[in-house]
Order: sequence, then structure tokens, then C-alpha cells
Amino acid sequence: MNSDQIYTMGIDVGGSYVKGVIMQYSDSPVLVDKKCEKIRRRNPSEVAVDLIDFLLKKNNLSYEKDIVYLASTGEGEMVSKKRGHFYSMTSHSRGGKFFVPEARTVVDMGGLYVRAIKIDERGRVMDYKMTGQCASGSGQFIENISRYLGLAIDEVGDISMQSDTPEVPSGICAVLAETDVINSVSRGISTPDIIKGIHLSIANRVVRLIAKLKAESPIVLVGGMGMNKGMVDAVRELADENRNHFEIVTHPDAIYSGAIGAALWGGYRHFKLIEKEAALNLV
Amino acid sequence: MIIQKEMIAGLFKDLASVKESGKKVVYTFIPGNLSELIRSFDMLPVYPEINALQSGMRKKSGEFIREAERHGHSEDVCTYVKCDVGMMIKGNIGPTGEKLPDPDLLLLSYTGCFTFMKWFETLERLYPGVPVALIQSPYQEDATITPEMTEYMVKQLKEEVIPKMEEVSGQKFDEEKLKGILKLSAEAEDWIVKIFDSTKHRPSPIDAYFAGVYYIGPINIGFRGTQEAVDYYKELYKEVQERIAKGLGPITPEGVMKEEKFRLVVEGPPNWTSFREFWKLFYDRGAVIVASSYTKVGGVYDYGFRHDSEHPLETLAEYCMNCYTNLNLPQRINLLEKCITEYHADGYLTNSIKSCNSFAAGQLMMMRELEERLEIPVGFIETDLVDPRYFSYSNIKNRLESFFEMLEQRLLIEQD
Repeated sequence: MNSDQIYTMGIDVGGSYVKGVIMQYSDSPVLVDKKCEKIRRRNPSEVAVDLIDFLLKKNNLSYEKDIVYLASTGEGEMVSKKRGHFYSMTSHSRGGKFFVPEARTVVDMGGLYVRAIKIDERGRVMDYKMTGQCASGSGQFIENISRYLGLAIDEVGDISMQSDTPEVPSGICAVLAETDVINSVSRGISTPDIIKGIHLSIANRVVRLIAKLKAESPIVLVGGMGMNKGMVDAVRELADENRNHFEIVTHPDAIYSGAIGAALWGGYRHFKLIEKEAALNLV
Repeated sequence: MIIQKEMIAGLFKDLASVKESGKKVVYTFIPGNLSELIRSFDMLPVYPEINALQSGMRKKSGEFIREAERHGHSEDVCTYVKCDVGMMIKGNIGPTGEKLPDPDLLLLSYTGCFTFMKWFETLERLYPGVPVALIQSPYQEDATITPEMTEYMVKQLKEEVIPKMEEVSGQKFDEEKLKGILKLSAEAEDWIVKIFDSTKHRPSPIDAYFAGVYYIGPINIGFRGTQEAVDYYKELYKEVQERIAKGLGPITPEGVMKEEKFRLVVEGPPNWTSFREFWKLFYDRGAVIVASSYTKVGGVYDYGFRHDSEHPLETLAEYCMNCYTNLNLPQRINLLEKCITEYHADGYLTNSIKSCNSFAAGQLMMMRELEERLEIPVGFIETDLVDPRYFSYSNIKNRLESFFEMLEQRLLIEQD
């Protein structure tokens, strides 16, 4: 690794996954490396620490010597190695801006909920709208359904794109929707149509949030569901149907938006602290 | 807090010893309660909502609710009702561990909540033969209390409530005695208004929701119209003034709140089963509640209403019709707007209660209207009164953190 570079790390502990990144921090930051690990009933803090060590080792970096700031976000406050913690909307907004610098709305579509965030030109949170408590608007819901259908989570996007007559389940309650899915299977509805129906059901919630927020384009879809082609397609389809002509974009690293945002805010805070110290020394 | 606890403990002690004292017991509700009239007949009130919330705070409500559900009450029924009914089925042992006396009169003085009527039908079945006095209280559909509405209520007091109270208590209605009690009510009401008005200060010396529910205790559970209540509120006011003079923030279960970061107005009752955890989510982030609709559930004094001893029955009637949940939705919005503006709130939060239609109906519309009108950041969480199954800590934490995060960013932008 180049010793002249400044490196920061971000660690995002979510409901289902821990995501970690190393960033090369500058005016034009670069994503150096990333890793995502499913928690699988383990202690999330330990998963996070293992992931940090893995990334450092792989990139031949030392935590003490090379990383100027390790920032956590999400539920990452308990990660022992962190230097600071950033709240998740702040991190996802910054991550969304890293993907699409001109973004004015970031939609965080994670394992537990969907949150649409309106941001200003500097990436600061202006307003937000969030799904209700029910799991029917969450990534975890897609995981449950895909498990029931015997699919791997990374297959569902492509399978959804094969649908021609989607079967949309109840959009009110995850339990009712699961019952609908079971019923669809017994009625012989094809797997692509069931999956597309689930995507449309969640997309319907996303589009309602965007409308309520009076969102502005471009809208960046981030979080785990932002990497699901079928989900992104469903959001675009419903937004168009509702005559909300938004520019909806995503990024192949969408799941890392929180970790990227935290790493970037970490770098910003590091230099602010240096500035403060310098000012104090002058006095 | 000590005085308040002693007052409430005293009431439960009096209730536990009615066999010896011979006092008669009235089961009634807090919204639109006729405390003064009950007191004028030397009877003692029992408020089922208070028993339910106390059971919730003592982690007993889950068991009572399940008992009521075993007896056929649906999962969607108000959990105050189910907690109360479950408690009665299990022997009516009150929150203090003493058995509550059976009612001598069932008094329903506010019918704005339809559940109250069904609750009383259940009580009637649980206590067959106990007289029931029911007042049909008109809703403020047109945002006003007309003279005809008051007249209709007074007629019901004269023809339905007072004769039954005379019969049960064995005492004749004494208007002069009632007037004396009402004078003390008005005095206590003046003090409580001043106390809740203290949140105009920065930092606010009190939390008008989490601590507010303790402050409204005496005025709502039968002490209105007593010298004890007046003395309690005078003492509390003195304490609040001292806090203002010292520049102190509100007291929390972990001591004085160090920094006031956000000032909020909250709509909806609190969750009682996880009350401390719920409160902690706010004070840990420096959020203080400067006004709440729930502390107005027993009476809305913001527009100057005070019990008027010169017109005893009319004032009781107006009090009944003026409780918060009897206001129509535009009135509630205006009242909340007044609170947000006068107490300089930074945000507005709705706590939507799963099993309370009186509060939850219209809350989203009210929130959207306030957001539009005042451009204030709004937040929405969902909990329940006393059903522990509906308190999802991580869900609420996630939502509150997002809300606080937005407030923080908005405040930073305003400072720029």
C-alpha cells in the first residue's frame, strides 16, 4: 500500500449483515476494498472486528499506523475498535452522494426498513420518511420469501426480471403476504411471478414514501435491496405508473453506502480535529 | 414526587378500608370525570385506567390481558379494558397489592370513547345489580360547546346522575358543598397551568410528558377539589421556580438532564410497560418534551377553562365536553399548533397507540397538517398502552434515532 495515502475505514452493523470498507480519503475518495458478512446468529460486534481484521490483513494495512479514522454506523456503536460513530441517515446520505454526487434523495432499503432521505447539496439530511413497523417493507421479508421458495438471495433479482404476470401479495402485513405466497405456490403461480409480486409490493411502499417526502431527482437506491435488480426495476416501474418521473439510480456497491458514508465522515472529522488542535497550539 | 406518591397511596388505602369506613365506591373514567360531584357525596372514585397503567408499570398487565383474552376479548380491544377486566377476574387485587372494593355505582360521564360504553357493559356483567349512571356527552363536532349542549348535559346530571348518587350514598345533593369543592378545583387548575407553562423557559425545568404524567396524577385521580391538591401544586410550582432560577433542566430517573438539545411536542399517550426505557430513549439524546396532548386527557385548560363554582352543574357539564379526546380534529390541530409555537418546539412526535382509537384516529392526518402548516420536523412511532407485546424496543429506537438525527441536522442548518 502507498504510504502517502490517507486511509479511513467504515463499519456498518445492520440487522442482517455487517459491512466494512477501506477508503482512500481525499477530495476524490476511492473505495479500496469492501467486505460484507451475514451475521447468522453470531455476536455482531465480533463479526465486525473479524471483518475489520480481515480487510486490514488483505490490504496489508495496520490499524494503528495506517488507518486515520475507523467510523461505525448503524448498530455499530458497540464495535470496540471504532474511533467515532455516525448516525445511519447521515452515513447513508454521504454514501449515496459518493455514488451519485448530484443526488438529492437517498433511499436506504435495508434489512429492517426502508427510509427515504431528502438531502441538500452538501449531503445533509433535510427530511425523511420511513416505513412502518411491519416487516413487509423490509429486505428481511424478501429473504424469508426466497428461503421459502428455495432461492438464494442473490438470484431473486434476475428471477424477478423473468416475470410477465406478477402476483402481488397483501401489501399491508408480512404475515398475510407470506400466507399469500404459500397460496400462490399451491396454485401453481410461477416463481418469477411470485418474486416480482413481492418486489412490487415493497416498491409500492417505496414509491409512497418518495411521494410523501416530495423527493427530488436523482434518487439513489442504497442498502442491500438497492443491489437487487428486480427490486430497482419494480420501483422504477411503479414510479412511472404513478407519473412520478424520477431519475432512479443505484450502484453495484449500494449495500456499502452506510459504511462508505461513515468512512468519509470519519476522514472529515479527522481533519477537523487536526485543524482544531492546530488552532489551539497557535493560541 | 414524594407528596404525590403519598396522596395516591392514601387513596388506595382508603379504598382498601371501605368496609370499616362505610364509604361508597364509584367506578368511573378519567376523561370528563366528575370528581367534585363524587366527592360532594363523600364517595371514593376508582379509575380503571389508573389501575391498568399502574399494572403496566409494575409488569403485571401482560398476564391480565391474556386472562381477558382467554375470556373472549379480542386482540384488538383496548388494552386498558383487558388489563382491567383481567385484573378483576383474577381477584381485583389493585396495583398496591390490596384488594379493590367492588363498585357501589358505575358512573360513565364521558361517552366520546365508544370503548368506554362497551367497557361499562362488561363491568355491568361483572357486577350484576350495581346501579349504572350514564351521561351521553355530545362531541364538539362544530368546535364549540353550545348552550343547548350544556343544557342537555345538566339535565342528565339532574335527572340521571345526582338521583343515583343520592340513592347510593344515602346523602342529599348539597350544592353549597359542591361549590366549595369547585373553588378548590379552580385553584389547583390555575397552579397546574402555571407549572406546564414553565416549559417556555430554556432549558425547560420540567418534562411535560414523562414527568408530566406524574404531575397530572393528583388532578386526574380524584384529588381535584381538595386542599391537598392545591397544596401539592403550590409546592410543585415553588420547586419548578427554583429550578428555573438555577437554570436546571428536567429531572429524569438518572438525575438532572444535562443538556437540552431538542424540544418536542408529543401527541398520544405514553407506553406504560416499558416506561423507563421509553423515557431513556429521549433524555439520553437530550430531548425534552415541552408539551403533550396526553397531559390534557383529564382536562384542557389551555384556553382558560376553570371549574366555575358559581355555576356548579354547568361547569361540570362543560368540563366533561371539553376533555381532549372530545375535541374535533381541527381543534386538536390548533391546540397542538399553539403548543408547538408557544413552547418553541423543534419537532413534533406522534406516538400512535395500537389499541386506543380515541387518540390514534386522525393522528396521521394531524401530523401531516402540522408538518405542512409549520414546516416542523415530524416523527411517528407505534407502541401500546399496557400490552407489552406491542412495544418493540429496537423498532422504536431506530425510528427515534432517525427523527433525532433529522432534528440535529435541521438545527445545524439553521445555525449556518
